[in-house]
Parts: sequence; structure tokens; C-alpha cells
Amino acid sequence: MDSVDLELFEQSLAHATSDYSGHALDAALEELGWPDALAIEPPAAISTLFPLQGANNSTSSALDHVVLHSLGLHPPPARGVVLPAIGQWDPPGTLSSDGLQVNGLASGALRGLEFAVVVAAAERGPTALAVPSASLTVARVDGVDPNYGLSLVTGEDIRTYTELEPASADWASAVAFARLALAHELVGASRKMLELAREHAVERMQFGRPISSFQAIRHRLADTLVAIEMAEALLDGAWLDVTPNSAAMAKAVAGRQARVTGRHCQQVLAGIGFTTEHPLHLFVRRTLVLDGLFGTAASVTKALGEEMIRVASLPPLLPL
Amino acid sequence: MTGSGGSATDVDDFRSSVESWLDDTQHMLAPEYPGSGTLDQQMAQLAKVKRSAYDAGWMRMGWPERVGGLGGSTLMRAYLGEALTTRGLVEPGLYSMTEVLAPTMIEYAAPQLAATVVPALLRGDETWCQGFSEPGTGSNLASLSCRAERTEDGWRVTGQKIWTSLAQYAQRCVLLTRTGTMESAHRGITTLFVDMDSPGVAVRPIETMHGVDEFSEVFFDNVEVPFARTLGEVDGGWAVAMDLLPYERSTSLWHRAAFLHRRLQDLLETAPPGALEPAKLGEVTQLLYAFRARSRATQHRMANGERLGPETSLDKVMLATAEQAIFDLAADTLTSEVTIGDDPTSERWRTEFLYARAATIYGGSVEIQRNIIARRLLNLGSDR
Repeated sequence: MDSVDLELFEQSLAHATSDYSGHALDAALEELGWPDALAIEPPAAISTLFPLQGANNSTSSALDHVVLHSLGLHPPPARGVVLPAIGQWDPPGTLSSDGLQVNGLASGALRGLEFAVVVAAAERGPTALAVPSASLTVARVDGVDPNYGLSLVTGEDIRTYTELEPASADWASAVAFARLALAHELVGASRKMLELAREHAVERMQFGRPISSFQAIRHRLADTLVAIEMAEALLDGAWLDVTPNSAAMAKAVAGRQARVTGRHCQQVLAGIGFTTEHPLHLFVRRTLVLDGLFGTAASVTKALGEEMIRVASLPPLLPL
Repeated sequence: MTGSGGSATDVDDFRSSVESWLDDTQHMLAPEYPGSGTLDQQMAQLAKVKRSAYDAGWMRMGWPERVGGLGGSTLMRAYLGEALTTRGLVEPGLYSMTEVLAPTMIEYAAPQLAATVVPALLRGDETWCQGFSEPGTGSNLASLSCRAERTEDGWRVTGQKIWTSLAQYAQRCVLLTRTGTMESAHRGITTLFVDMDSPGVAVRPIETMHGVDEFSEVFFDNVEVPFARTLGEVDGGWAVAMDLLPYERSTSLWHRAAFLHRRLQDLLETAPPGALEPAKLGEVTQLLYAFRARSRATQHRMANGERLGPETSLDKVMLATAEQAIFDLAADTLTSEVTIGDDPTSERWRTEFLYARAATIYGGSVEIQRNIIARRLLNLGSDR
């Protein structure tokens, strides 16, 4: 896509993510050719859609598409994917002589589909399996963000599955791409929170002046922008080399900075931002869930430190 | 500025050529002192390395030909400083003064003057300093009062500067002076290029808490400066200063990140088993890598000829945050070295920890950076 095409594509996606959510957004994305774009140019497809989805608080099965694409599985309409359990990034399945055990999550897209793709840890390495939905227990959860539409997916001693090609699933790549997508979504949601807080700060009058004229407010919002741009910088860098390490750092920082952003923006929005009359809470809820998918900022960061200590070396540097 | 982006191949060629030159000359260029050495030793080391790199041509790459450079992408300058810093051959803060002051001279000095003096700076034959802050003028730069009066053929300067890095070593000073009324604020400032051996210039180093006395007070008592040493327009010094400040937040910070990367690696290698807390280590690494990704983009924008502006305040806040976090972690990890160690290695960690306390103060405090971010990037309007 050249820059003009990309801009038009982005505009269409902006409309779609603002007008639709869930199945309706899936249909709109299909119509706009987003799944095709993902197959041809994953960086462009992911980095345009997910920030918009984050900013509009909308949901879709785009994350499923990203995972399936990274596994080399092109998603036929009747197949969803099981994501790792909350806070985890290990494959959601375990394969042994007892059959397949499943403990994971699914987006709303999984319901009503005939098959689910489950990546399972096996002796020979991660393996992608097609599992009939009927052999899985799929239980809808509300949690902190009912709009996100997550379900808990479990299954015990399942033997009715089909192995999918390629025989060894590139789970590390699936985790990396999912983390990049989620980091973009977190950054999009963070930018929206900052926009909401900024609007409020310039309009809200106290002591006869807009509260945006007070340094305490200005510095909070400035720190918020610094926090967001840190995550954005890591994302830009991660797309240059797309390694598990760079994707993990981008996701961890995007998650941590979304928390920072929520805290600062909540404080600036004060009373109104604590009510459901104002949309801030939607983003506070959403970013908490997004942080938990494919590893929280805290757990991913700790794992990075442990690995650095183990190898006594810093992660590779992106050259100038 | 040539503003040439340069092809990736040119920069890659430069990178491998510089690395092999450094491999060959490392034994001659390496410092002969233990730890971080004294400031005198660091300055002598800097001059030695700059001269070798200039004579070999590397130090001239990325600078315009009219000031003794060999042209090409500014990325080569960023890379050279990174390589010299990573190998521990130069102290990045001292080295990067060139990156702050040379672009200003190239843009604002009369061509003849720039052609004469810039090569001496690049080659390490001269040290320059930057006379901006005053005792009564810290964050509020536009309130400066060091006075320059017009004479028949130039200026007569009287006043005082403070926090002038390396003034005691400098042959020249890029000096902000008050040429309008005090009320004229930023409209009545003129930038001059002053010889530090002029009669009436006195320098008094300031004893700092980290033990490296790199800052000085500089006193000007009726110092005569030729008119040809005016940089930019008379009463147009604010523009010169505003163009200079983003340079403090671009290549200089890239070089500083190379230093921080090396020291974090050193920390990883020297930490006693179990002393490093994984979560904290992971977090400071992310801060450093986020800054580096940000600064990398800034280097590329500069190489493509973009004018740097208020967005570099984000770079500055990120770097200061990363630097303090890294040395806080060092202090938590190497407790005995930092608190009671008297050997050169311990002293170095301690010095660097203490110097990191200033990272949020010098070069425009983070409060000033936040003010810039709030007004210019977030468009929050007036703060009154």
C-alpha cells in the first residue's frame, strides 16, 4: 500500500471502528478487506486497525486473525482461536498421552463456530490443533470489562482433534504479533484517554481560569504524553525487527503506560471521570484487560529481567 | 547543513569502516587511566581521540564541506559518537558539546568565521563553551542580564554566567547577551562568539557534588568583542538559542544512551549473584530501549533535513528518567561499592550515581520540558 492508499484505508477503518463493534465490526472489516491486508502486509494492517479499535473502545475478532495468520493458518470463517489464559503467554493447550487439556480464553468470535484452533505444548514442541467447539466448555465472563466479551475456554482429556499444517506451530511468532497488536490497541486507548482529559482541562473553569492553566494539571498531562510516546517509540522500533524481545518490550511498556495514563487522566477528570456518564471508565476497564492478554506488563517485565540475568547480557540493540 | 539523508548503504559502510578502524587503533586510543579518571585526563583523552578521528576522516563525516567536513548523512555523526562512547574512549557529555555548538556556528556565524573555527572544534584543537545561564537566570532564560553595549567596532560585554560547562578549558564561548532593555525580554538578546583569552574574562570552576568540576562561573568585565563575532541578527539571539536547544536533545542524548547502555551491561556483569532485582532490571532496560527507539527516530528526522523543535523535549524527559533509573538500580545493586568503596571502579559508580541526580536539572529542567510539552505539543494554552 502506498501512503495515499494507506490513508484512505485508515479513514475507512476509523469509520468502521467508531460505528460498529463485535460481529458488525467483523463484517465491516471483511468488507473493507482488512483480513486480506493482514495476509499481504501485516505491519500496515495491524498498526492501522488496532490503535483505532483502542481509541473507539470497539471489539472484533481481529486479534484471532493476527494469531492465526502468525501461525500460518488462514482463517476460514468457521474457525476461531483459543488465546492463552489471562496473564499467561504459554500455549493454552497441553498435549500428552491423556489427550488434550485446554485452559484459555476466547473472544466473542469463538461462539457459534464449529472449530477452535488450540495451540498445545507437546513433546515435539507447540502444535496447532483444530478442536470441535462441542468438546470445549466455553463460559462467558463479564469481569471488569463486559463489553470486551471474553469467555473462559476449558477442556479435559480431549481426543477428538485434528492436527493442522504446519506441523510445528510458530507460537513465539504468534505471541510477538499478538503483543504488537495489543500494544497498538493500548496506545490507541491511552491517546483517547489523554484527549478526553485534555478537552476537560481546557473547558473546566475553577478559580476563574481553565484548569489547564494550572501547572499541576499541565505537568500531569505532559507526563502522560511522555508515557504514551515511550510505548509508541518501542512499537515503531519493534516493527523494524519484529523479534519476540522487541514485541514483549513494546507490550509491557504499553500496558504499564496505559495504567499511568489512566491514573493521570482520571485525576484531571476528577469527579466526572469517576462516573459512568463519562466514557473514561470504559478505557480504564479495557486497558486492564488488554494488559492481561499475552502477559501483563509486570510479568513480562520480570521475565525480561530474569532472562537478562541468566544470559548476563542486554537484549540486542536496533542499529541506528 | 547539508540536510542529506544519505543512503542506508553509505551509513552501513561508514559503520563497518569505523568499527574496523577502531579495532585497529583501540590499543592507541584507549584511556591510560583507571576508572573514569580526572577531568584533566578526560579532556586530554577527548582531544587525543578527536584528533585521531578527524585526521582519519571519520570526525569530518556528516559535516558540511565549507567547515572542513566531508559531507554525507548526519547519521554518521550519531554513529561515530555512539561507537566511541560504547568502547569507553570518550566521556559522552564532553564529546557531545561539539554536536550542540558546531551546528549553531554553521548556521549563524559569518561563513568565513565558521570555516576557520569549526574545524578546530571538530579536530579537538579547541574546546568551546556555552554561556547561557546566569545567577539570576536559570529556567527563565529570557531574563538574562549579561550586558553587551555597542562600541565603534563591536561590543563591550559586562556581566556573569554560571553553569558554563568546560569554561576553564575553553578557547571560545557562544554567549547570550542582553542588548535591548530588560523589558525587551527575549527580543533584546544577541548571541556573540567570544574568545576566552580576551582581557576581562575570568573563570572560576564550581566544586560539584559528584567530584568532577566541569561547570564554571564566568565573569566578563568590559570585554571587547569584534562586531564580526555576532552570531545571527542583532537582538535576534533568542532564535539562535531556540535553534541550539533541540541539538542538546538529539545527537548528544543518543550518545548519552550509548554510555548508559554500556554501564547497564557493566552492571549486569558485575552485580553479585542475586543482587539484581529482575523486575527492576527489566523496567530500566525498557526505559532505556524506549528512549533509544525515540532518539533513533529523531536522528533520522534530522538526517532527512527536518528542523527539530519542541518534540525533542519528550526525548529529554525520557533520557533523564532512564538515566536516573539506571543509576538508582546500580546503587541498589552495588550497595557496598557506591557507599563505602574507595577503589576507582567504586568511585566511578558513585560519581555517575551522583551525576545522574542532575539529569533532570541540566539542559533545561524537566519542569521546563513539561511546560514546553504542555504548551507546544498538547496545546493547553497559556499558563496564566
